[in-house]
Amino acid sequence: MLYLQLLVNGIQTGALYALIAAGFSLIFGMTRIFHAAHGATFTIAGFVFYEFYAVLEWGLIPSVLACAAAAALFGVLLNRWVYVVIQRHEGSFFTVFAASFGAAIVVQNLISIFFGKGMVTVSTPLSRSIELMPGLYVAPMAFIAVITAIICFALLHYLFTHTSMGVALRALGENPVLVDVFGLNPKSLGKYAFLIGSVLVVPAAILTAATSGLNPAMGHHVMMISIAATIVGGVGSLRGAAMAGLLFGLAENLSLAFFDPQWSEAVTFVILFLFIIFRPGGFYGRAIVS
Amino acid sequence: MLAYLQNIVVLFSINAILALTLNFIMGYAGIFSLAHAVFFGIGAYTAAYVALNYTDSLVLCMLAAMGLSAVISMALALPALRVRGEYFVAASLGLQMIGVTIFSEWKSVTGGLGGMVGIPSPVFLGYTFRSTTDFLILAGVILIGILVITSLLVRGSFGRSLMAIRDSESAAQAYGKSVNTVKTLSVAISAGLAALGGVLYAFYMSFVNVEVFTLDMSILLMAMVIIGGTGTLIGPVVGAAIVMALPAALTYLPFIPPGELGTIQQIIYGSAMVILMMYRPGGVVGARAKGKST
Amino acid sequence: MTAAQNLTDPAKILLQVRGLHKNFGGLQAITDVNLDLPSGVITTLVGPNGAGKTTLFNMITGHLVPSSGTVHWLGESLNGIAPWRIARKGIARTFQDLRLFNHMTVQENIETVMERSSWLWQRRSVAMKQKIEQVLDETELASKRHERAVDLAYAERKFLSLARIMAGDATLWLLDEPASGLDPRSFDRFVALLKSYAQRGVTICIIEHNLDIVIRLSDTVAFLDQGKLLAQGSSEDILKDPHLAAIYFGDR
Repeated sequence: MLYLQLLVNGIQTGALYALIAAGFSLIFGMTRIFHAAHGATFTIAGFVFYEFYAVLEWGLIPSVLACAAAAALFGVLLNRWVYVVIQRHEGSFFTVFAASFGAAIVVQNLISIFFGKGMVTVSTPLSRSIELMPGLYVAPMAFIAVITAIICFALLHYLFTHTSMGVALRALGENPVLVDVFGLNPKSLGKYAFLIGSVLVVPAAILTAATSGLNPAMGHHVMMISIAATIVGGVGSLRGAAMAGLLFGLAENLSLAFFDPQWSEAVTFVILFLFIIFRPGGFYGRAIVS
Repeated sequence: MLAYLQNIVVLFSINAILALTLNFIMGYAGIFSLAHAVFFGIGAYTAAYVALNYTDSLVLCMLAAMGLSAVISMALALPALRVRGEYFVAASLGLQMIGVTIFSEWKSVTGGLGGMVGIPSPVFLGYTFRSTTDFLILAGVILIGILVITSLLVRGSFGRSLMAIRDSESAAQAYGKSVNTVKTLSVAISAGLAALGGVLYAFYMSFVNVEVFTLDMSILLMAMVIIGGTGTLIGPVVGAAIVMALPAALTYLPFIPPGELGTIQQIIYGSAMVILMMYRPGGVVGARAKGKST
Repeated sequence: MTAAQNLTDPAKILLQVRGLHKNFGGLQAITDVNLDLPSGVITTLVGPNGAGKTTLFNMITGHLVPSSGTVHWLGESLNGIAPWRIARKGIARTFQDLRLFNHMTVQENIETVMERSSWLWQRRSVAMKQKIEQVLDETELASKRHERAVDLAYAERKFLSLARIMAGDATLWLLDEPASGLDPRSFDRFVALLKSYAQRGVTICIIEHNLDIVIRLSDTVAFLDQGKLLAQGSSEDILKDPHLAAIYFGDR
């Protein structure tokens, strides 16, 4: 029964991780920018939701909208004001990464000034567990998480296959040079990549706020999962990143049956490490030249 | 006052050693590692363990620390041989996390979360290093030693091999460079010398604990290297000085509540990283001067 | 010994390619290529784009593994040997996109090629220093020795690419479009340089599209199309062949 419980927890966590990872993978795969501030986007989204819903007590819908707007703005503006400037003169991987990292540090600390360093949660009856079977505790939130993830991915799929913007984004991911030739503007396409990628964390942030809670430093963990899942899933593959996110959620929870909680993070990284050494292309990725 | 200043200089030297050794692989080989704090830790824990259980000889502790650190750095070298850039950063991040978990959990060797206390003073040629002044001199000597070694390596054929690999790995191979050997050696040297910083730290504080070897420290070291500038030898030293001077400078500003000092400090160096990368990627010291290799 | 004599003297054939095949998945990139590169001879590889010329180079230098066939250098098989080891046997190449060590200076680019072993520290001998000066003189880069490669003018970058090969004392030069885009005076210098090294016994193989260059430089021309070596002969024979011209210029 323990395994079943861990499995259910793992699916819940995995659904959220899949969303976060897909967001990062979208941005990275399409713009080749290592957006190390993606974790910061998540933190911002979470805390904005907390502020509007739990503190200011606006309704659910306005709070969700405010949170989505904050996440989207942060991603798009960071790209426009920082990444684009850097890419204009040099744009090496390292420079962009360092700037992104710096931004993440600033965000984390600004949030801790306003909200303190501790954990905050949004309390809602939906996160109260029900005993479905003897020994199996599931909260409605778990179902909401999975269903939200499925809906989001369905929407994404529709976006990429049936809208011109989506198709253009995929083209950008495949071959940024060719996109120019067809009269599309890679820079403005990049803006959409950041917009969509950042908004993808919103459901995950809200759900996390309602379940395990938020703290300003959680961006680190989010970032690690995003990077790990993108690599294990294969760079350029959203499906891969999502699946890898699910895998990591499962692994993190199932490993609790064998190891102490402190090791669950290490488990994630052992998986990542093994992939990097033996299969750097990940599940679905393009071949890499080392 | 003198003791306070001496203390700062010792700590600065340790940070400078770590920043220098990190820049060795970051600036010259293009290997971006977030795991440097782990080698700092390996050096510290090894020295502590050897001193507490076997001998307080400075030389033996240093050799043990450097050797172990270099061997374990092969775990970092392996991904470095296979992938670069973003992939390698992820692998190094993983190593950092696993390292911290091991430091915190392996109670029998590392003392777990409590750490190791009561580390004896090191002895070299009959002299026991005890006072702050003693450590000041020791730290200074080691720092200068590492500066000299790194300088020789970087200005010589090894440095050229590193930079050739960084600039074009396929061309480096086409011109006879054994890329794997060079990369592995550079990672081992970086980790081995970083361990010396750990040895210094363990003996100076007489106490080690996992708090200093976390991801935050690796990030701090990276910030030092970035802010100081990766293109020169002196850059990381300058970066270490700047980043360390921040908290001291901040205490003079009356309107900052003391509890928030660390936070403000992080905001400042985070912002510095962003702004520098946008307008002066060469860091404070700046890009390589024309005609010089470092 | 003149180039013509070298062509027919079997003792001087240094690189032997026999029955070389390469497929990438379903794509047959190279089919049954046989090629001999003798000492002191400048061979030019011509053919339409995508014919497999660069792929052939990559297989000789070890960057690609042949699907079947052999490559022998000085009688020794190169199959399965890592690129850096092959380079140390005296085989050097340039790349179409140059791949200079951009953030290093001209002098550093040359020095690093001469430093063969992986030792942490190598002493620079007097002979080495002399060689560096000689190479810098021959490529007329002495005044730019402390400039970063990325800051050089186009022609200077081309010559630096050549300087790296010269400094390495390579005996087989594989040059991938080394002269494209050079102005007439630079081009004359370039030709003179290549010829002087060929006279010293260096084996040179060039991939080139520009037919003027082919005519001025080649002792012999090999025509590659769709992975097959269609013909080999003097530049006159090859270039005047109407059948080959049709392939080259696209009307089959």
